Amino acid sequence: MDSNQIMRTAAASNAAAVDTAAGGANLASATAFVPTASGTVGPFFPPRFLGEGDNNLSIVTPGAAAAAGERIHLCGHVYEAGRVPRFNTIVELWQADANGRFAHPLDPQHADADPHFMGWGRTWTDQTGYFEFTTVKPGSYLDPVSRQQRAPHINISFTGSGLMRRLVTTLYFHGEPGNENDPVLAVIADPGLRSRLLLTPLPDQAAAPGVSSFGIDIVLQGESETPFFVD
Amino acid sequence: MTAPRHYSPHDDTTQPAMVIPGYRETYVRVPKMPLFKRPLTLTELTGPTRIAQKLKPGAHPGDGNLAHPYPEKPRALGQLIQVGGRLLDEDGKPVRQSVIEIWHCNASGRYIHPMDANSPNPIDENFLGSGRVLTDDDGRYTFLTVKPAAYPYPNHPERWWRPAHIHLSIFGDSFMSRLVTQMFFPGDPFNDIDLILNSVPDPKGRARMIARQIPMHDMPVPNIIGFEHNIVLRGSAQTPFGV
Repeated sequence: MDSNQIMRTAAASNAAAVDTAAGGANLASATAFVPTASGTVGPFFPPRFLGEGDNNLSIVTPGAAAAAGERIHLCGHVYEAGRVPRFNTIVELWQADANGRFAHPLDPQHADADPHFMGWGRTWTDQTGYFEFTTVKPGSYLDPVSRQQRAPHINISFTGSGLMRRLVTTLYFHGEPGNENDPVLAVIADPGLRSRLLLTPLPDQAAAPGVSSFGIDIVLQGESETPFFVD
Repeated sequence: MTAPRHYSPHDDTTQPAMVIPGYRETYVRVPKMPLFKRPLTLTELTGPTRIAQKLKPGAHPGDGNLAHPYPEKPRALGQLIQVGGRLLDEDGKPVRQSVIEIWHCNASGRYIHPMDANSPNPIDENFLGSGRVLTDDDGRYTFLTVKPAAYPYPNHPERWWRPAHIHLSIFGDSFMSRLVTQMFFPGDPFNDIDLILNSVPDPKGRARMIARQIPMHDMPVPNIIGFEHNIVLRGSAQTPFGV
């Protein structure tokens, strides 16, 4: 039997074995269903997991139709203490489409979400700490949970060696009038700290005609440290 | 609107410390400022529903069989193991159709990664070291692989051996339930000294990161060691009293 045959045989009857075993230790010890502890992604996240187009939120798969909206190029650098560029950080984004909708059942308007918009992207930082994404500018939306208006924003997360838990924060657009009333940005009282979450227009770095470029420095620790959230 | 799920705050007794004595990378990468608690709005409570379309678990022949990623070549060296279990939420309900990304070193302790280029351990040309699977409608996942080796943490002044472990990256059904974790093996002598496993204060929390070996007679074939590993993601349909 080769390992593929073994795989099929094993998969077919593994469920039974697991069920038999489940009366014992593992499921029983998880009866409280406590969330499993997170751990560092480590330094060896497989490069092959960072596929072509994974850092383009405006398409679901390479070659597919692109989402509607104002296309933007979002780039930045990640630094650790002492403003040392942090290589090999895994960066993920999640955001609403150009009309402020999510293709997710929790959004009351999910049926109207842009079917071509992925909303999620992932990349890693290079030797200079640099990362970049292509997306569309997210729309503002009236949040049905808080009943408050969310300004255009992009949620961003960082995992990597030395990060036992994912770090999460939210990026905003410089000069956006809705920033003043955004319920998440409002959590940070200090205007100086708030300004560290603002994407800055980079008119000289336009990636392509009609694509606006925005930049952000992410400082994990030290001077000008980025404010991070906990959920 | 579908009712949003409830997410309890992180429990510091069952989740790892952020700064770990002896794990130097944590000293310079963890923020010094306290984290800001934010209200949960749609952006936090939703997540990519089409992640399987994007990441295509099963598209690579080795995705669910890391022991034999290249069908035209022999299988990888090492002890054949099967890892399976259920992906559950905090109510014990199955998390269905969720992508699980898997990666680990080979049977000699070497990763397929440029960061491991200086490892003294050899590459196995028949091992890719990564795969992706999807949970079924019962939250079950399973994959076949070879057992990873323990390896010394590179350039650590006091010698720190990582016990054998498998990395797992799990999407769940919202950005709140996203989890990156490591699975350990029962009986590994380095489990007791691993800085990462032991950064979880609660012994039960640590125990939940260690897979359970399935009794050999419960395995359908004689030449695979089976491990059961259930994983719980954040999120509950229930709102606790007082909230």
